Order: sequence, then C-alpha cells, then structure tokens
Amino acid sequence: MTPTPTVASIVGITKSYGPTKAVRQVTLDIPRGAIIGLVGENGAGKSTVAKMLAGVISPDSGQLIINGVERSFRGPYEAIRAGVAMMAQEITLVPDRTVEENVLLGNLPRKGVFPLKKKMRERYLHIMKESGFDLDPNLRVGSLRIADQQKVELMRALSQQAQLIIMDEPSAALTVDEVTKLHGSIRNLAAQGTSVLLVSHFLEEVLELTSLVAIMRDGELIRYTETKSETADSLVASMVGKSLSTEYGETKTAKAGPIKLSIQNVSTSDHLSDISFDIRGGEILGLAGLVGAGRTEIARAIYGVDRISAGEIVLEGRALKIRSPQQAIKLGIFMIPESRKDQGLVLTGSIGDNLLLASMSKLATFGITSSSKFSKVATKLSQAIDLRFGSLKDSASSLSGGNQQKILFGRVLELQPSVLIVDEPTRGVDIAAKRAIHALLEELAIKGTAILFISSEIEEVLGVCHRTIVIHKGRTHGEFVPPYNKTEVISAFFGQGEN
Amino acid sequence: MLEKIRNYGILGVFGGLFLVLAISSPSFLSPQNGANIMDQSSILLIFAATTTLCVIAGIFDLSIAAVATASAIMTVNAINYFDSIFGVFIGIAFGAVLGLITGLAITSTNVNSFIGTLAAAFTYRGLGLILAGGGLVKISNPDTATQLLDITEGKYLGLKGAVWISVIFVVFIALLLSKTVFGKQVYAVGGNREAAFLAGIRTQRVLVTCYMISGIGAGVAGAIYAGRYGSGATNAYSDTFVFTAIAATVVGGVSIFGGSGAIWRGSMGVLTFALIGNGLNLLGVDTTYQLTILGLLIFAAVAADQLFRRTVKS
Repeated sequence: MTPTPTVASIVGITKSYGPTKAVRQVTLDIPRGAIIGLVGENGAGKSTVAKMLAGVISPDSGQLIINGVERSFRGPYEAIRAGVAMMAQEITLVPDRTVEENVLLGNLPRKGVFPLKKKMRERYLHIMKESGFDLDPNLRVGSLRIADQQKVELMRALSQQAQLIIMDEPSAALTVDEVTKLHGSIRNLAAQGTSVLLVSHFLEEVLELTSLVAIMRDGELIRYTETKSETADSLVASMVGKSLSTEYGETKTAKAGPIKLSIQNVSTSDHLSDISFDIRGGEILGLAGLVGAGRTEIARAIYGVDRISAGEIVLEGRALKIRSPQQAIKLGIFMIPESRKDQGLVLTGSIGDNLLLASMSKLATFGITSSSKFSKVATKLSQAIDLRFGSLKDSASSLSGGNQQKILFGRVLELQPSVLIVDEPTRGVDIAAKRAIHALLEELAIKGTAILFISSEIEEVLGVCHRTIVIHKGRTHGEFVPPYNKTEVISAFFGQGEN
Repeated sequence: MLEKIRNYGILGVFGGLFLVLAISSPSFLSPQNGANIMDQSSILLIFAATTTLCVIAGIFDLSIAAVATASAIMTVNAINYFDSIFGVFIGIAFGAVLGLITGLAITSTNVNSFIGTLAAAFTYRGLGLILAGGGLVKISNPDTATQLLDITEGKYLGLKGAVWISVIFVVFIALLLSKTVFGKQVYAVGGNREAAFLAGIRTQRVLVTCYMISGIGAGVAGAIYAGRYGSGATNAYSDTFVFTAIAATVVGGVSIFGGSGAIWRGSMGVLTFALIGNGLNLLGVDTTYQLTILGLLIFAAVAADQLFRRTVKS
C-alpha cells in the first residue's frame, strides 16, 4: 500500500451525550509526519474527538478515513490494527514486566505458545532505533520514571505499526525536565513519519511543538491553521469566543462579614504549592481553573481528606489541624464532593438515610435511632430543598441527577456549617435543578455562610461568585472581582497574564 | 422482577419447601422435628447473623470458625482456672478480642478483608492448638460441666438452651443493625465507603466494630460448644461453617456487594438449608443430592443478585 499524504481524515463527525452535543460537525485532516495541536476549554470536545479517532467511542454520524479507507471502529484494538494508537492520560503498562515485554505486548514473536526470546530482542532493538529512544529492554517498567514509561508507551504504539499516535495531556504529570524529554520523543516520532495529535492545555507546548493547531469551542471546530500564525492570546481569544452567556444576571457583590476561613501558604506533597486566600462570611468565593489544576485538592486539604505538608488553615482566628472529614464537620466545615455518585451518595441506601447521613448521630438518643423522628426531619429537609421523589424509603439511585445533588444540599441545611465547600455542584444536572442550587447557595451566603465554590463551567463561576481565584498548576494565579473580564480569567487558566 | 426475585425469592423457596414437606411427610410438622431443625441450626444462625452484618458492611470474616474453636478452648481453660462457670464470659470476651485484633490489623493496613481474615483464620487455629496444648481440654469439675450442660441442652418452652442463646443473639444483632446509628453507618460504609467517610462517618471504627461483633458471635458459639461437650477441641468448628454461613447469607438475598440486606435474610438462608437437609432425610433422599441442590440454590441466588445489579446500572 502506498502511503497517502493524509494519514487520517475526520469528516463531519458528531457525537451527543443525551441532550448535550459534545462534538458537532468537526472536519479535520491530519498530514503524515505532522504534529497537530488540539486545544480548547474544559468540555470543548477535544477528548471526545480524540477518543472517536482512537476507537474508544463511536461517532453518531460522520466519517473516519484512515489511510484512505473509511473505517468504523468497534474498539481501540481495531483502531490499533488500522494504525491509530492512543496514549491515554493514565499509563496503561504492566508495571511488573520488563520494558521489552511491555513494548511487544500483544504481538510477541512466538512459536506456538512459546515466546521467542531472540526474535523479541531483535524486534525491540529495531523499534528502539526507529523511535530514536534509548532504553534498557531488561528494566522493570514499574521502576521507570513517568517520562520513560511514556517512551515505552510510544514504542509500543510503534511496535503496533501506529501511523498516528494520539496523546491526551501527556505532559500533565511530568516534571520540567521530563517534559523536555517527551518533546524530544515527539519530534523524533514525527521525523520518522509518524503523525502525532497532541491534546493539551499547555499553550506554550502547543505553540512550540506543533505545525498545525485546531481550536475547539462548545463542540465545534473554530479554526484549523498553521501554528506559526498563532499566539497564546489569539488561541485563548478563540477558545473563549465573544458570546458571553446571558444565563446569569449581574453578579451581586457580597455583604461580606469578617474573615471566616483563612488558607495560609498551604502546600501538599503532590498537588498544591503555597496556596493562600481568605473567605469571608456571606461570601461565595469561586475557584476556577483547568481540570487537574488543583481546585479539588484544595477542597480536600481543607476538609481533612488529604494531608497538608506545609502552611496553615485558620478558622475564625484559630489555626487548625484537620485530620478527617469527621473533625471538619465538628468544626463547622462541610464539603459537597465532586462526584455525587462515587463520593456523595450511598446509592443503595434510602433517600431518607442519605439525607441524614452526616447528621444521624446528632438525631439519635444514646445511639438508638427513632424512625419517626428520622422521617420527620428527613421530610422537613426534603421540602426545604424541594426534592422530587416518591418515598423516603426509595433508594437514592431512583432519583435524577439534580435531585440526587439536592440530597447533598439537604445535608448542608441540617448541619448548618459556617464554611461550605461545593465541588462541581451542578455537573450533569438539568437547568431547573441548577437554578435551585444557585438560589440555595445565595440564600446560605445571605445567612452568613462562607462558601467556596468550584466549577469547571466558567460562566457559572463568574455568574455565581462574588470573587474568583484562578488556580494554575497547583498555585494561585490571579484574583478577579466583578465585573469580570472573561478573557482575562481564562487567560489565567492557561497560565497567561500577571500572577 | 429480578429485584423481587432477589428480595423475596428466599421466602418463596422456604414456603414452597415447607408446603411440600408438610404434605408429603407426616412427621415433618411434629413439634419434635421443629425443635430438631432449630437445634441443628443454632450455631449456624449465629454465624450467619455476624456474616450478614459483615457482608452488609462490605467485608468478609473467614476467621469465625477458627475464633469459635479457640474460644471454646479458652472457655474451658478459664472455667478450670477460676473453677467457675463464669469462665464462659472470658471465652466470649476472648472471641471479641480476637475479632478486635483482626479488625485493627486489617483496617490499619488496608488489606483486603477476604485475604486478611483468611490469614487470621490460620493464625487463630494455631492459637487454639497452643491453648489446648495440642489436643483436647476438658472441664475438670464435673459439677460445673453438668451445670453448663443443663444450660445449653436443657429445654425451655420446648427448645434447648443453646437454641435460645442463638435466637437471642441473632435478635440482638438484628436490633443493632436496624435500630441504631451504628446500624445505619454499617449500611452506609458497605454501600459507599468513600461517601460515608466524606459525610463524617468514622469508617474504620465501624468496620473494626463489625469484626469485633463477629468475634463475639464466634465466642458465643465457642462457649456453647464447651457447654455441650464439656470440653474444647481443636477441631470444634470446621471452616465448613464459614462457607455455609456465607452461602446462607447469599441465599437469603443479602447482596454480596454490600450496603443492603437484613439479618433475618441470613437466618432464613440457614433455615432453608436445614429444611432441605431435614426434608430430604425424611423423604429418604440420598445426601449426595442435598449438596448438589444446595450448590445450585447458592448459584441461583448469586446470579439473581448479579443480574439485578446489571439491570440497575443500565
């Protein structure tokens, strides 16, 4: 087969998840041996495009043409056979086997059931030469640094004769010097004729490495041009767009009370460095930033889930060491976690028990529960949060996403915390539930609760929060107050602008 | 539909068996036969209750038979040492301590409970051997032995003392699970440990308590053994009890995934097993078939649970 100049073409591809269109009518040609950047805000549809190309998910409509042949993949293995491999955000190697075995995994040279050692080594050396890497085949993969593990993944892609390698945020977990190595690896691959599609939040990386860049916004391809003609500012401007959402009115300024919670130079061993900010009573403070920037980690550190390695958390003037959520709740701090299904609700449990999960000890006498008292309190709470349900005895899994989220707010009303942390409180809920949750938060703020609000939806943060702090790579990167300049805020997401 | 089968299948199976046996075997309904069934089931009722508790909390305790054996020996030793019938309480407390140790060891190291309690089972069997000096220990004072025998084997309202002890224990666990904050915490921890933790529940403490209650149940079983036989033997309870208790729990409709179920389900599982054994004996069926039927029943119960889970997800 003679190689076509275009290794892969995406033609008018569309993908919906329920009512939301994740990707609409995207068309993209990937030339052979080129490094292509794919950029966009959280939820713009980049990863969805990448996954469709790699056969992880299948498009609703549109065509995928690989090497001139139209394909519809039933799984990643078919994409690999067609020459498209994906390096996911998580490494997918077998840590206890050697580099060589990992590279050749899935197509070991063998005779019957026995692997051929000599042939294996020959093939490994060939691939290593082809990739331009230098890695001892006998090392155990688990002992390698992440940058080297990524090399193993890349070589595996080559051993599978990949002509297009998709990388989703490959440098997210790397140190500066590992990033340099990875970039070298990527350039090497391209020089050998392999195409690379690089999905990245790091604009400098995209500007430095790629020859072409595709910008996505709200599931659409905004622009696909030569990287030379772009700057970080022009990329950000296109990612943000001009349309400011009209969903939110003018953001109100808080009648801020005294400082409730003060975070002072907090660091954790792996994610956060030197985070400082204050929240006042009655204030909704937004934490904005890219997925993985460290917003959730801040919440978890305050709530006593993750250990703080340096710095202090001061509640109403008192420095605290919070070691568990249980202790945080006692001190008047409560968190609604990021994933209501995995971290918030006991889905097998009843609606009533879920409402009272955090406060049942308070409601019991000597540890004995009174079902009439429990159902009275649960009923009162369910009315206060306007929960739509059949019976308190039904399981929590029977509720819609919005109503499940309301249960978590029911716990807030019962506990009456002085500091409330909400992590992605409206993710995947319908508009009506979203409005109700926003109204509830405002009400709590008016009553004097200090609220830390985390959301990946920038419009929501700017529409709801009295003040917004942007987190970039585990550090605070700018503080903003209404009237917000959205472009400025998003520039800070990408590490642009003044610190 | 599947949910109904999982939730109430056990009642159907039990009721059906009961009817068939009542019609086909005249001796089945005699009070004596009922008392026999309860007598045979008494120890398993205890084990099934603590196993159900553990499974709801999302853990397994495979060490119960070993703990019960060690407790039986400890009971006899304590009775002989203090020359007092109150040695039984030391035997039961010993079971509690072993359960506590298992719980602390497993929760502090985050070892999988299945493997952790398997290791504990070996350890405690060995401990039993040590305590028994390698063989059998006997209650030396014949009066005390008779006293204990009277308690466990004497009849009260038509049922043996051991049966009453089991029933009281099971009812106690059932109340603990259904009427206390601890019980609600057990369901929450078994249903979603992380959510429970983030809601401020001390998940580790809840689990350790479950292991400890499991140890107390085993201690009671051990004390009953000492009472019945006037001795403690290193083979007092075989590990078959563990697996039968888990099987009874599952057959009773307790989800093996944790977070749901009830104590009465484990009890129904045990009684169903007893009915199958008893009925097939009355009808003169070979014991080989009993095991096969039991096996199929267990599989059906687990399959119903799994299928139900799958349909809920999709």
